[in-house]
Amino acid sequence: MSQPPMDAHSDPQALAPPVAAPVEATGPSYLTVTKTISSWAFTLDHKRIGVMYLIGVLFMFLIGGVIAMLIRTELFSPLALITPLFADTVEAQADMYNKWFTTHGAIMVFLVIIPGVPAALGNFVLPLLLGAKDVAFPKLNLGSFYLWLTGAVFFLYVLFTGGLDTGWTFYTPYSAESGTAVIPALMGVFVLGFSSIFTGLNFIVTIHKMRPPGMTWFKMPLFLWATYATAVMQVLATPVIGITVLLLILERTLGIGIFDPRNGGDPVLFQHFFWFYSHPAVYIMIVPPMGIVSELIAVHSHKRIFGYTYIAFSSVAIAIFSFLVWGHHMFTSGQSTTMNIIFSGITFTVGLPSAIKIFNWIATMYKGAITLNTAMLYGISFIFLFTIGGLTGLFLAVLSIDTHLHDTYFVVAHFHYVMMGSGLVAFIGGLHHWWPKMTGKMFSEYWGRIACGLVFVGFNITFIPQFVMGSLGMPRRYYTYADKFEGYHQLSTMGSYIMAVGFFLIAYYLIQSLVSGKKAPANPWGGNSLEWHTTSPPPLLNFHEVPDATDPYDFENLEYDPVTGNYETIKSA
Amino acid sequence: MIPLSTMLAQSKPTFWLPAPVSNFAGPVDSDFYFVYWVSMFFLVLITALLVYFMWKFRTPPGARAQSQNDHHLMLELVWTGIPLILSLMMFWYGYRGYVAMQTAPSDGISIIAEAQKWAWNFSYASNGAVIPGMSDDFNDVREKVRSGEFTAEQAAVVEDKILEKAGLHVPMGVPIDITVMAADVLHAFFIPAFRVKKDCVPGRTGKVWFIANEAGIYDLYCAEYCGQGHSRMHTKVVVHETVEEYEKWLEIAGSYDETLPFDQNGAIVWKRRGCISCHSVDGSKKVGPSWKDLFGSMRKFTAIGRPGELVADEAYIEDSIRYPMNRIADGYPPQMPVVKLTDKEILWVIEYIKSLGQNSGGEQNPRKEN
Repeated sequence: MSQPPMDAHSDPQALAPPVAAPVEATGPSYLTVTKTISSWAFTLDHKRIGVMYLIGVLFMFLIGGVIAMLIRTELFSPLALITPLFADTVEAQADMYNKWFTTHGAIMVFLVIIPGVPAALGNFVLPLLLGAKDVAFPKLNLGSFYLWLTGAVFFLYVLFTGGLDTGWTFYTPYSAESGTAVIPALMGVFVLGFSSIFTGLNFIVTIHKMRPPGMTWFKMPLFLWATYATAVMQVLATPVIGITVLLLILERTLGIGIFDPRNGGDPVLFQHFFWFYSHPAVYIMIVPPMGIVSELIAVHSHKRIFGYTYIAFSSVAIAIFSFLVWGHHMFTSGQSTTMNIIFSGITFTVGLPSAIKIFNWIATMYKGAITLNTAMLYGISFIFLFTIGGLTGLFLAVLSIDTHLHDTYFVVAHFHYVMMGSGLVAFIGGLHHWWPKMTGKMFSEYWGRIACGLVFVGFNITFIPQFVMGSLGMPRRYYTYADKFEGYHQLSTMGSYIMAVGFFLIAYYLIQSLVSGKKAPANPWGGNSLEWHTTSPPPLLNFHEVPDATDPYDFENLEYDPVTGNYETIKSA
Repeated sequence: MIPLSTMLAQSKPTFWLPAPVSNFAGPVDSDFYFVYWVSMFFLVLITALLVYFMWKFRTPPGARAQSQNDHHLMLELVWTGIPLILSLMMFWYGYRGYVAMQTAPSDGISIIAEAQKWAWNFSYASNGAVIPGMSDDFNDVREKVRSGEFTAEQAAVVEDKILEKAGLHVPMGVPIDITVMAADVLHAFFIPAFRVKKDCVPGRTGKVWFIANEAGIYDLYCAEYCGQGHSRMHTKVVVHETVEEYEKWLEIAGSYDETLPFDQNGAIVWKRRGCISCHSVDGSKKVGPSWKDLFGSMRKFTAIGRPGELVADEAYIEDSIRYPMNRIADGYPPQMPVVKLTDKEILWVIEYIKSLGQNSGGEQNPRKEN
């Protein structure tokens, strides 16, 4: 930990002068090299696949977000407010609400957050960070995307044919008897699982085999460590959810008693299987965002990342421990006292590396040269929101407190702080960070900062009241509720509207930047990892000449050119 | 019967937590506030550093960092060590509190809380009485208060009336030993004021115990999602001041008035035992078939995967109550739980269904020909 990880003197290759970044494109970029639809649909280019993922993920985010707005609007009052627009009877109105929160959760988890960072941003950035031409298996990569698309089609089918009302957790025996489209949704989860596994496999091989000369493991940018740890989790955990949903499909279609006690099954077994995947999945959703934030904070502070080795190892530690804590979702399920105690203990060990990452990021900012642009503001927002998400996790890890808080809005608020406040905010931060590289255009920093502020303020107004009403005893997944919680719900709903305005603003100025944005220089932020050493947007094969490994956190040899807005690499003597 | 609504709890809810009225509330709340103040300290520290660094070290593009130092062993040891010690303490407090919750004294009053879609039933071991949660009645009162039909005082009077024969009743100061069960899908037994929660798992039993410290009326919720009526599966816990008062209530509440006509008692059973949540009596379609004009009608169903038809006579209805999964009426989901009614209750329900309109169109069931 005390060893400076980038000691140039220990590695002669690191002494090689870095190549000067080409500022002017010398040929067509990956966006302009071919223009037909089939050149996109059958592309093997990781960048195009990344962009297609991005469009898909953002579209599903829009659908999940609209449903979230319906939920929050309905909860503005304990009485039926907008469900009567969609259903006639009181019973059907309650069903409608249950379908909303189920599809919101399922879409956001399986189609947005899990593929969001690794598949969308990761696909675009990972080979660039490695100085490689592509991922190890480009065809498999395209296959992953089409599996994702197939999964999305399954969920859209569910959405437009009566919905799904089991909760995104599919707990049995309710999911075994629910009359809604459970099987198509389970098929969707199954297919998306393969998409996730293939992406993970691809990234593992790519990172192992395609690092450039001079890039040893501990000279990789931290985003690669995070992606690697995530890929390992994806490959090892996802098969379990695949098997679980297949068993549930067998139970529903053939009546085999696996999880339904009426046929001799065990509903708690389902919870074990489900969380054996879904707890690692939580880290599949948060470790890559942590990797993004490590890049954002270092690059926009223009300072060497603090505690590189620690951050790298903590990603790996989280990946390992994530397999050992699934039982903390089940403290009140009736599993044995001994198991609960063991799971509670291990849960604290997984909290620790996350806590120390926060200190490392803050220490990175100390004495840095912080440019407060949009991406950095998202990085800082992430640290604050993830701190709250992590600290409130402590309450839930403490057995006695969790007995009271389990299945209340406290849990809802906690995981939104982690999944959305941290995961999605980092995703959007990363999107802004790499937007000039992806599109070759600069977006409006002015509107970017305002939108970030709206999202940040709106998010906190939405979810802080949920902590309070949860600890006061408001259970989750409630269509109607006691009058004493009305004020909290109203505040929360208003916060969600502010957040929605922020997201629409982001969509507006990003789309506008495509049309009329300023041309992006190769290195607008002053990063030194390899993606900043090629043009924005990169050529089809990423680099005009094969680059040597750089020290990704050495910002001393960059010089800002105020005319072009580019950071030029100083050729060392 | 003393008016229950006069038993106002002395403890008030705080900003974060409901009124602490059980033996677990004190320990859980002190654990909560320990974690809370530790979290607050770190949140304020981290936020202050973030904002200060953000302000102090902000620069226009192109500036160079004042330092490129990337490690400090002492600092890293400190910020690893302190969180480690604090999290060990949290684990220990949680462990201690949780083990106490799992260790029920053997001399408690035994009550079985059985959850079904979407009703609670409480069976009292001392006299075998089954008392319903009457969620629908409480929801009605709540909605009437909202719409202005009831004032708070009127609502309290009506709730008192309901609670005479409904809700979970316990005496103060005595260990209460609750076995939780579920008839159909997962539910969870949750009383925020007591800080207790336990999943009701079909096919398994769970244990909850507590000592209520203050007389009063508290909320009992279902905390595990269970479908359409999940948010309405709400009832009240009444803490009586003395064991005598509790026993007196139990004796009255646990009995039916057997001098009433059968169909009237059947209507009481319909409400009390939760039939009401799935079967209407006015012909409207809920989860299960309406009871209006049901008796004597020809029923189409699926029995062990095969279609069948029978006239809904006494035997058909009794079978449907005792073995709800044997015949699944066409057009309805196979969701009816086994609600263990007594023989008398079944008889009354049948008479009640008869009183809701009879159908003589159907032919007799073959097995009843003689």
